[in-house]
Amino acid sequence: MGTMKPLLMEGVHFAFGNASVLEGVSLEMDAGAGVALLGANGAGKTTLTRLAMALLHPDQGRVITAGEPTAGRSPEDLASAVGYLFQHPEAQLFARTVRAEVGFGPERLGWATDRIGEAVDGVLLELGLSTLADHHPYDLPQPTRRLVAFAAALVARPQLLVLDEPTAGLDRAARARVADVVLARRASGTAVLAVTHDLGFAAAVLDRAIVLAGRCIAQQLPLTELLGDHPDFPAPPLLELARRLGLEGVRPAAAVLAPLLTSHPKTGTLEA
Amino acid sequence: MSPDPGPHVGRFHPFTPLVLTLCVAVLAVAAPGPKTAAALYTTTVVAVFLGGVGRAALRALIPLAPLWFFLFLLHGVLGDGDQVVILGLSLSREGLAAAVTQACRLGAIATASLTLYASFSPARFVDAVADRGWSFSTAYLVVATLLALPRFRARALAIIDAQRSRGLRLRGSPLNRVRAIGPVTFPLLLGALAEVDERGYALETRCASGVVHRTPLDPPLDRVGDRAIRWLAGAGAVAVLLWRVFG
Amino acid sequence: MSALLFKGAGFTYPGAPSPALRDCVLHADAGSITWLTGALGAGTSTALLLAAGLAPRHTGGERTGTVLTLGVDPALPSSGAALGGRVALVLPSPATQLSGIAETVFQEVAFAPANLGWPRARITARVSDALTALAISHLANREPGTLSGGEMQRAVIASMLVLEPDLWLLDEPTSALDTAGRALVHALLRREAVRGAAVVVASEDTDGLHQVADRLVVFADGCPVLDGPPQEVLRGERVWEAGAASTAIAGLARAAGNAAPRPLTVDEGVARWAR
Repeated sequence: MGTMKPLLMEGVHFAFGNASVLEGVSLEMDAGAGVALLGANGAGKTTLTRLAMALLHPDQGRVITAGEPTAGRSPEDLASAVGYLFQHPEAQLFARTVRAEVGFGPERLGWATDRIGEAVDGVLLELGLSTLADHHPYDLPQPTRRLVAFAAALVARPQLLVLDEPTAGLDRAARARVADVVLARRASGTAVLAVTHDLGFAAAVLDRAIVLAGRCIAQQLPLTELLGDHPDFPAPPLLELARRLGLEGVRPAAAVLAPLLTSHPKTGTLEA
Repeated sequence: MSPDPGPHVGRFHPFTPLVLTLCVAVLAVAAPGPKTAAALYTTTVVAVFLGGVGRAALRALIPLAPLWFFLFLLHGVLGDGDQVVILGLSLSREGLAAAVTQACRLGAIATASLTLYASFSPARFVDAVADRGWSFSTAYLVVATLLALPRFRARALAIIDAQRSRGLRLRGSPLNRVRAIGPVTFPLLLGALAEVDERGYALETRCASGVVHRTPLDPPLDRVGDRAIRWLAGAGAVAVLLWRVFG
Repeated sequence: MSALLFKGAGFTYPGAPSPALRDCVLHADAGSITWLTGALGAGTSTALLLAAGLAPRHTGGERTGTVLTLGVDPALPSSGAALGGRVALVLPSPATQLSGIAETVFQEVAFAPANLGWPRARITARVSDALTALAISHLANREPGTLSGGEMQRAVIASMLVLEPDLWLLDEPTSALDTAGRALVHALLRREAVRGAAVVVASEDTDGLHQVADRLVVFADGCPVLDGPPQEVLRGERVWEAGAASTAIAGLARAAGNAAPRPLTVDEGVARWAR
């Protein structure tokens, strides 16, 4: 691999016509990184993610995705290296079965049929969608359709996942699945960049925060440092609890915190 | 379509450009020959520029140019009868006249329609209808349909982005392009159906079905000038139509 | 009289193999917040659509049993006259309910009152108040199509608030909002209840609602299975057995093997586990 980072932006400027959206934005992500992209509406978060996917190209500076500059390249050139989850992702569903829908990407990438089958079965299992493989996506409830779209972004095992509001419109069970999958993929080296307003989700699965304001990166810091430090980003309950129990540095997720709490019905003692 | 319809057109009552466009269409169909058709087209273009929406006239040239070329070929080059030589080409005199007539008719209609579309303000139109006490359902239908077009276009672009990000190639061999049809058109059609459904929900939950008397939020002024233009244009169009039918 | 009453109500969507709602008994009173929760497919969304009369009028399908909304059967065509402007339904996807013809957020919020023929002065005043209440006055001149999900959600709620409804039916009304936005909407619902409206909200935002709602009804498999004060219900185990969930802290306690009654808030958690 060497020094090939999943995502690198250097001095990126971007404007829509006369309206400047990003000025001098630089960031880098290593393999397995988890970054929450935060900021007010209109701050440029979606623009930044679209630059990463070559849906837009910078007016100045460079965007280097999966080791190659995006200059002169198109989103379809990056499809094998980047999984992009759009907002309202169910709008892209068109196939007759969930299996065909998820297999569409690898099929376009020219994978062999059995390789596609394996990959699709694998990602459906990851997301708990195996029993729905032969269902028509449009017969499914909205949260499930969004999971199908998420599966489509994951199936080619991309190096970089770019997610725009991945938990929006999901029920609790689906959110838990997404969280588990994001953690698992990060552990296997996938970098994850997520625009999200769901701070509980972000705190549980991501490490770093990049806050966009005033057309540039206002802050870049560990997520747990940002949460609770600023009224715009309050600490979610598990993080606040962890802090007050002296468990800084522990991932604020139930699965991680629970073993650290010894249960005693009345008093309870804490072993760290 | 814009909340700010243009410096001059915006001052008209919403019904005026509508009536004018209809009149241009009637006059265009009724125009007997190349001179009248050309006069109509020129007048339309000049009026559009004076109205401050000249860009619509220019944008109309995009669909018109290939149509004009086709007409020129069909009537001018391939036409029979007296031939006249222009720039080394032997063209039919009658054919050229027919081509010019058709071209100017289409030009007038296209220019007027695009101008109407560009300067249409849904809110002012709905308010104008409400002010008259006319049927809100019809106005809502017309306006919601017109406004569905930019939404549809935005949806199409979003779907194309999504499918390209999954590896869909739109350029290249004809086979590639055919393969692209399904992943782009099916979600678009399903989205259009969903759009219809959504308008249904909006009507039900926003007290929009069975509207008896809608309050105009900002009723547009219907000046004497507006009414005069509409009556004159309407009367003129009807007169020309009658003259062509019976004269 | 209850603002909302279900007696043995059932509903099956067209072509569905099984009912979405079965033998449902439910009531909601004026001046209180009734909170519905349940796993996906448990029937909370269907219950709200039934209450608004959209099921079966708009969705098709078959209804059984009795549904009375403000004393009227909402499925009857004649109910429109009795209920118009008195029932506010907020659906999960805000884009679903936009008028489609408004050029500004102001016009969007004014859409329903204008349709009801209110005098212009009253419309202007009420719309301004509603925009302020949802903290979106700065968006009054924006095109609705350019709003973010959260802004659109606030605009839809504002367009219902403007009507001063007697009954609120809200389905995941804060899904696109950040913490501050959720707190704002929950406070607004509290004020509406104080004003005398009946508020029925289906939501998975357990952490946001457990101190705001008066009553929690947990649905499972198309039927309410638990009904009681939120704190009481959420401390127990049955809410989990029903496929729903409690607060994040209660979830942590459960994962750590604590038996019911479980702590709900961070303070209670610290009291339970601190050395």
